Amino acid sequence: MTIFRLFTSEVKAVLSNPIILLTVLGGVVFYSFLYPLPYSHQTPVEQKVTVVNLDKSRTSFQLERMVDATPQVQLVNRASSIDEAKDRFLSGEVNGILVIPEHFYRDLLQGKSPSLSFAGDAAYFLVYGTIVEGLASASGTLAAQVKVASLLAQGEPISTAFTHYSASNLNIKPTFNPEIGYLSYVVPAVFILILQQTLIMGVGILSGTQKYGVGYWSSIPTLKLVFMRSTTFVAIYYLLAMYYFGFSFNYYQIHRLADPLILLALLAPFLYTSSFIGIILGNVLPRRELVTVVALFSSMPLIFCSGFIWPLEAIPEPVIWISQLFPSTLAIQAMLKTNQMGAAFDQVISLWELMWAQFCFWGMWAIMFDRKYRLKTKY
Amino acid sequence: METTPYSQLHVLKNDWWLLSCISWIPILLSVSVWWTLSQGIARDLPFGIVDLDKSTLSAQLVRILDATPTLATHEAYVDIQEAKSALIEGKIYGYAVIPSDYMRNIYRNNPPQVSVFYNSQFVLIGKLINSAVQQAHGTFNTQISVLQNLAKGNQPISLAVGKTVTIKNQITPLFNQNSNYAQFLLTAVVPALWQIVIIVSTILVLSANFRIYGAKNFLCLHPFWLTFRIAGAYIPFYLMFGFAFLAWFYLGLKWPFHGELLALLYAQFLTTVACVVMGSFFFVLTLDTARAMSFAGAFTAPSFAFMGVTFPVTDMSNIASTWRSLLPISHYIEAHISQSSYGVTVMQTINQISIDMARYIFPLLLLIPLYKKHRRAWQIQK
Repeated sequence: MTIFRLFTSEVKAVLSNPIILLTVLGGVVFYSFLYPLPYSHQTPVEQKVTVVNLDKSRTSFQLERMVDATPQVQLVNRASSIDEAKDRFLSGEVNGILVIPEHFYRDLLQGKSPSLSFAGDAAYFLVYGTIVEGLASASGTLAAQVKVASLLAQGEPISTAFTHYSASNLNIKPTFNPEIGYLSYVVPAVFILILQQTLIMGVGILSGTQKYGVGYWSSIPTLKLVFMRSTTFVAIYYLLAMYYFGFSFNYYQIHRLADPLILLALLAPFLYTSSFIGIILGNVLPRRELVTVVALFSSMPLIFCSGFIWPLEAIPEPVIWISQLFPSTLAIQAMLKTNQMGAAFDQVISLWELMWAQFCFWGMWAIMFDRKYRLKTKY
Repeated sequence: METTPYSQLHVLKNDWWLLSCISWIPILLSVSVWWTLSQGIARDLPFGIVDLDKSTLSAQLVRILDATPTLATHEAYVDIQEAKSALIEGKIYGYAVIPSDYMRNIYRNNPPQVSVFYNSQFVLIGKLINSAVQQAHGTFNTQISVLQNLAKGNQPISLAVGKTVTIKNQITPLFNQNSNYAQFLLTAVVPALWQIVIIVSTILVLSANFRIYGAKNFLCLHPFWLTFRIAGAYIPFYLMFGFAFLAWFYLGLKWPFHGELLALLYAQFLTTVACVVMGSFFFVLTLDTARAMSFAGAFTAPSFAFMGVTFPVTDMSNIASTWRSLLPISHYIEAHISQSSYGVTVMQTINQISIDMARYIFPLLLLIPLYKKHRRAWQIQK
């Protein structure tokens, strides 16, 4: 059989298998809309907070207005006592409590540094962080105003008082994801995992379906079949990857900083290695549905050790070694660096080399397992 | 053959994969995620410094940055370009540029500006860096201003501090006092894995019974009740895992627990039943295991994102919250968190979860027409 005939037979086998179509095309397209769904608002805003104002001075009401004016926090109501605020918090009506202490205004004027107390549910990191950020920025603004007022009272001219309230200024800039959007954080990494897992399932189901049967594949020698099967899937997945990194990223307004050629270069070892893993699973597992089970189970551990949720420096060394065996780990790191952070190709070349090492490693196993498990007729 | 009881012991002996799914696989998965996050708190994240001043004050600022638990500033770069490429390569998570004449400008009361760039692509790591830098810079400012005030003389140190720090903030993180990342994520990850395990195992159980005892026998009897008996026989296993992760979290890892175990066990029971119903539904839809598994994957794989622990439910769009309400585990996690953190009453949880889980009666009833359809198709085939 010529290489071209084999290629068309493989494509036909994919297109005529409804389960593969459902998993590969259906899965990829379905996930491209489903996964970003929860994050479509990008950043949490206007978290509900209740305030206990024990001071009731003009300044404390001014602080309340300033807190309410921040985009992060919305003051929904006033509680008359801390106990009342606690009840509202526990019933889920609000996500945080701000307490303005008694004599807040007096202590402020006397330079006794009164304490503002915030409490929030830290079991939800993002909500808690948002509230703290909003409250801290409001109290910081009030503190600066008080300082400027006291500088003015000491006789500083107004033009310098505005700059002199602190010794050194801080200009802090979020880089690569300037709006700190959750969508731009999660989607680029998760899409790579989706590509890997659906690819493994697709190849695995095809190999698992064919290994006991007889057909065009029975007379193909191992090396040729492994190579052509993965090439077929890599070709299909190049198209799907273009849909993800082109259309979807554009649709969700996610950065696309990398040169398309770099993306294509990075995808090559990633997609080939994933296909090899699919061939191995399809051959070694007794039934084809188990490929899906393995892919499903492995998703969560893989996403947590890929270094974008939890810093690599904080992950135990043995976990890092194991995770480097899987294509998604390296691909996520390389793709985030190039496409999201604008790294040049030579800055990810060491990752790319490792990806080709994975290619060799899994390629060898794929050849071995195909030899051992697939029924072959004489050729 | 028709009268043979469907021995599940025999099925388990014959299906090593099914046995694995309800024994070591869930343990391995949970432990591997826990191991990955086991450090719990991100410490000493590499942070770069571009010190263009090289004065005692700039060194003081660097020392304070390094002294924060979050940052470790061993990397010093000679120019911004070098630091920038290190940031892109992921060697550091952020860098500070201390301008030249930093000390001179501070002494002249002409506040200089320190610029910090941090990697916000990794949102949660970025937030940690941001707050650590803010905190360190605030401390530095306070130290300088207190010294300035003291230098003017005539005031005690407490007043000098009061003049500098006009308002103090006391921030109390409730329910996760040390902002432990493992606690935050595992609370959601492990139940999400649990849901996947139950749905996948249910499909494997039904398919194994079909394979071993024959589809014909299965369809000719009362398939609806048979499904109940077979899939239901595994519910104790799933409940055991549910109980095990509760014991692990609150006894083993000693996370705070303010609720009632009874309410949570009830919620777990209903969640298990709902997952078994969904698993059976996916299988009976086509009676093809591979297809059922694809449906189950599409249904369960993204459930972690929809649970509302990492990203708040209140900020999800309507379609997102609708999809979320279809997932059994998102109802469970609400009951779980309201029990463990908020300590709501047992009755409140029982009422809420019973109402939430009532919707799974619908896919359960759908099994009847689906089986009828399959029986008809089977008879035609015969």
